[in-house]
Amino acid sequence: MRPPVYLDYAATTPVRPEVLEAMLPYLTTQTFGNPSSAHRFGRAARAGIEQARRQVAEAVGAEPNQVVFTSGGTEADNLGIVGAALAARERGAAMCAVVSATEHKAVLAAAHAVCHLGGREALLPVNPDGQVDLDALDAALADNPAVVSVMWVNNETGVLQPMSEIAGRCREAGAVFHTDAVQALGKVPVSVTELSCTLLTLSGHKIGAPKGIGALIVRDRKAVEAIIHGGGQQFGIRPGTENVAGAVALGRAAQLAAAEQPSSAERLGDLRNQLAARLKAAVPDLVVNAEGSRRAPHLLSIAVPGADSEALLMHLDLAGIAASSGSACSTGAVEPSHVLIAMGVPRDLALGAIRFSLGRETTLEDVDRAVEVVPAVVAKVRRLAGVLGRAGGTAVRRYDGTTGENEAVVDVGKKAMGGQTAKAPEEAAAVPPYRRSAEGSG
Amino acid sequence: MSPRVLVAMSGGVDSSVAAARLVEQGYDVVGATMKLFCYGDDVPDRPCCSLDSINDARDVAHAIGIPHYVLNLEDRFNLHVIQNFVSEYSRGRTPIPCVRCNSFTKFRDLLAHADALDCDYIATGHYAVARDGGLYRGSDPGKDQSYFLWGIDRQVVARMLTPVGELSKSDTRAYARRLGLTTADKEESVEICFVPNDDYPSVLERHLPPDAPALVPGPLVTTAGDVIGEHRGYARYTIGQRKGLPGGSPSARYVVAIRPERREVVVGSAEELAGHHLRLEELNWLAPPLKPGDACEVQIRYRARAVPATVLVRHEDSLSLALADPVRAITPGQSGVLYGPGHRVLGGGVIA
Repeated sequence: MRPPVYLDYAATTPVRPEVLEAMLPYLTTQTFGNPSSAHRFGRAARAGIEQARRQVAEAVGAEPNQVVFTSGGTEADNLGIVGAALAARERGAAMCAVVSATEHKAVLAAAHAVCHLGGREALLPVNPDGQVDLDALDAALADNPAVVSVMWVNNETGVLQPMSEIAGRCREAGAVFHTDAVQALGKVPVSVTELSCTLLTLSGHKIGAPKGIGALIVRDRKAVEAIIHGGGQQFGIRPGTENVAGAVALGRAAQLAAAEQPSSAERLGDLRNQLAARLKAAVPDLVVNAEGSRRAPHLLSIAVPGADSEALLMHLDLAGIAASSGSACSTGAVEPSHVLIAMGVPRDLALGAIRFSLGRETTLEDVDRAVEVVPAVVAKVRRLAGVLGRAGGTAVRRYDGTTGENEAVVDVGKKAMGGQTAKAPEEAAAVPPYRRSAEGSG
Repeated sequence: MSPRVLVAMSGGVDSSVAAARLVEQGYDVVGATMKLFCYGDDVPDRPCCSLDSINDARDVAHAIGIPHYVLNLEDRFNLHVIQNFVSEYSRGRTPIPCVRCNSFTKFRDLLAHADALDCDYIATGHYAVARDGGLYRGSDPGKDQSYFLWGIDRQVVARMLTPVGELSKSDTRAYARRLGLTTADKEESVEICFVPNDDYPSVLERHLPPDAPALVPGPLVTTAGDVIGEHRGYARYTIGQRKGLPGGSPSARYVVAIRPERREVVVGSAEELAGHHLRLEELNWLAPPLKPGDACEVQIRYRARAVPATVLVRHEDSLSLALADPVRAITPGQSGVLYGPGHRVLGGGVIA
């Protein structure tokens, strides 16, 4: 069997050799010290952390003392949103978190946690193109929210948000603006000086650093309160002995990602567009989600009418192609993507959505393999959907072999949605999208 | 190329061993865990239901070197099993959701997936034996699960492998330990999977309105028709139940009938609990159908002994049987499973 093809780089990436080389000394005898220690071992580790801070800061146009290392993107999102809500409470302001309906689960769940702390959450609907409804943003800003969070690049569709407009409106309204830039760094130009956001989330393992390291850029320390408590490390915003090797890895990876961004974006965009065009040629009714929108170059979200994404992914895996659905539950079971539902994609179609994501190691041969395998898998899964599958109608046979009168053909998907097939964006936004899923895949 | 098998892995020791034995026997094995329900709805950022089981199944699949997938059958399980569970209790009956699940969800849906995956067979960790198109009791009399399998399609049986059906439970555990499977000493689940803490009324309360007749108090009557008290909602009682009946009584009293149309729970003596006849509905045959006058054995509860019986009347979808000896607590909604020579499952139905 030929080696499997990995097209899930938005889920995670392998550690880059340069990054591994940079971090290794911090794991072994040379520089293993605790960066808070006063002795030479500590100082050596501290130097690594500071170097990493400078590298991360430079990669996104921030200052080194604005870089707060975290255990990853999820923690950074939580620190940004819950931390900003707590800071608002400290100031005597309302604890209200406003987030877009297409955010990563980390942001949606953090906003929901603000409710549990006695605050409020508000979901911003998106337009069918995936971009946040700016009128809804204006309305939300009128309530003086503590924090507004809108992701830079959507992890499923790749849709780019109108960042400067959102940031500008938040600034005028005096609201803290947080953005999850996990899928943006290295794929689109990211600069916090140009954008004027207060908080920005980064993750290491999406750009060739290991899992377990991320950062929150904090450009105004009064904007967030710590959400975990300890020995005062990292300006007290994120105490705990720093993950030195991880931070060093993130520093190096961020440096490389920013430096290579223009060429990488061009190469990935070409491959992605080829993949999309050739898949559409082979499967004519295949839908590219958010096709007309401004998108990051490495993501391709497609929907296959009449197929179930769960079955597609399983068959693709058996055929040696690793892709993902937008919204995998941590069990591995597949839910219709809350992102697509929020964009008004009909549930039946959203159930047939899968995501390919390209990365540094992706080659034209990988794209060729996908184009070779996908159409056959689609044909097979569509046949299955006739017998089974949430996307289509299902004949229910009774024990005696006849077809029951009242259960002859039941559209399971429609039934579960109370007869609806499509939702207006406003309505979709009211459905808590974090329900049932513990963890996003991107 | 070796035949391909899709094995349903629940995360328990039985299906773990089933998968491992198939690998050992040289099959091309694909593992799948069916995610059937979710009670994580109210807790947004906790892992949803069954995560531990799915992780166990994944872990075992990795250890024995097979791919593993999760099949989301929540919508279908809800439609075919949970809704039926609620409506049966509303009708004053005591359903067995595992039978519905096996008949509608587990095997039929699994077979559809197996076809799409070009699998020749499906397999599970049930203690029952599929052989030459027939289904038989499992070899371990203490573990036999054939009672729950009477409703599966006959063409499923023809393509079904039962790798642990001829093992005893202790053989299975020993096998799992020998392979170092993480599930070797996992406790047995005896609960209905979607009913937390065995508290089935709480499931009914979630699905029915608070004033549903099945859940609100009604008269407790004797077989003679005397009202002797009030019960807490007839869906909370089952035929043969002795504990939890209101009021004291000089002699032992049992629930002998439930009359949903009058919301009555009827109590009586042990003698009044015995039945000589049985009517089965929603028949399914796993062997040539029986005719009036034919003899067989019938088992009316999972843990009951099968008793000799004779077919009295057979319609297209129902069957009446005369029992050689009276049996205790014939309960509408439970299964009546028909066995023939060699412990073969001939078929079965739902007790009317």
